[in-house]
Amino acid sequence: MSEFYKNEEEKFSKLVSDLKTLPKIEAPDNFEFNLMTRIQNKSFGEIRDSRPAFNWFKFLAPSAAVMASVLLFFIFYPQREEIPTQIVNQKQLIDSQALAGKSSDKKFESLFSTDDKKSSIKKSVESNSNIAQTQLPGKRTFPLNQRRSVSVDDYISGANSNQNPSARSSIVNSGDEPMVDGFRIENKLDKKTIEKFRAELDSLKKAQLKADSLKKAIK
Amino acid sequence: MTKRLSDLSDEELIKIYQDENTLEAYEILVKRYKDPLMNFVYRFVGDRDVCTDVVQETMIKFYLNKDSYRSFAKFSTWIYTIAANLAKNELKRRKRRVIFSIDNSDDEKSPQIEDKMFLAPDRAADSEIRNEIIQKALLKVKPVYREVVILRDIQDLSYEEIAEITGLAIGTVKSRINRGRIQLQKLLKNIYKE
Repeated sequence: MSEFYKNEEEKFSKLVSDLKTLPKIEAPDNFEFNLMTRIQNKSFGEIRDSRPAFNWFKFLAPSAAVMASVLLFFIFYPQREEIPTQIVNQKQLIDSQALAGKSSDKKFESLFSTDDKKSSIKKSVESNSNIAQTQLPGKRTFPLNQRRSVSVDDYISGANSNQNPSARSSIVNSGDEPMVDGFRIENKLDKKTIEKFRAELDSLKKAQLKADSLKKAIK
Repeated sequence: MTKRLSDLSDEELIKIYQDENTLEAYEILVKRYKDPLMNFVYRFVGDRDVCTDVVQETMIKFYLNKDSYRSFAKFSTWIYTIAANLAKNELKRRKRRVIFSIDNSDDEKSPQIEDKMFLAPDRAADSEIRNEIIQKALLKVKPVYREVVILRDIQDLSYEEIAEITGLAIGTVKSRINRGRIQLQKLLKNIYKE
């Protein structure tokens, strides 16, 4: 290895000798005088490029801003993605039941249309949609916080405008009260209405029983 | 018989300066090293005024931080290290100034010197011009190579001393010197044709 560097020295001998013969630069005459004057006057402040000491505060402000923005993003960013919940599952179940109910209603009707004698039963049977469409009189607004509340019907049907994920809990904890003990009932139903519903239900049950017995007879 | 201060070695002088705060010892060391350092810094930076400032700063640092010198090291390598670091900082600062300079109007530009790198070899034979060409070529060599080439071929320091000044291994110093010389020879191909 040293042999290699020896050869290299020889290779550059001309260049090296030229470098060695370069004129020597000397300090100016007043160099020492200036230096000693500076020392006596204690003027050492000319050390340039003196950078300020490391400051944590420089990093604190931007990092706090970044942290705050990230937190705000996760809190308020409207999450569009549908998260499967029990309510959604129930909605699907209801839909499938409704479809099944409609088809069974048709069969049920066709079954009775063939038999003229049982027309009286047909009249007493009404589709469930009629019951559902019956609107209760005097719809009243509850003392609920609109911003924090979510309509369960709207939520199930997908028409819910409040997509804020933080308000999801409002389905249960609706309103200003921290807890809701069960569902609220809009109006107390009177006896007549209850009896009317009861009669409808009874007639439906009877019809169902008759339909079952007819099915058995056909078989 | 007591020795005169001027007869003492560098290491003895700095010891006296450290222990007794004798300003005379400091002045003797300044006298001894001002010219070698001027030569080294000038070859490295290429500007006489800047070079004077850098050497002044070196001597001020030496005055203020005399206690940071440890007796197991050679005084020359210690003072060269300070000067080399300041010279490198100066180069960086100048580079930054060039990059971030917005006002590049022609009035403020320094007068352009004719590039003598492409002169005919017969004209280059003139020693003054030759020295100028070598200095210009030296400034075009990468600073990491330039530093070691100057320390070895101009300042005549040993590989061990250069390794101590630069904080590099001796092998690295040797290879850098070699690369620096190759670069320099390439730049001076008009002179070293044969």
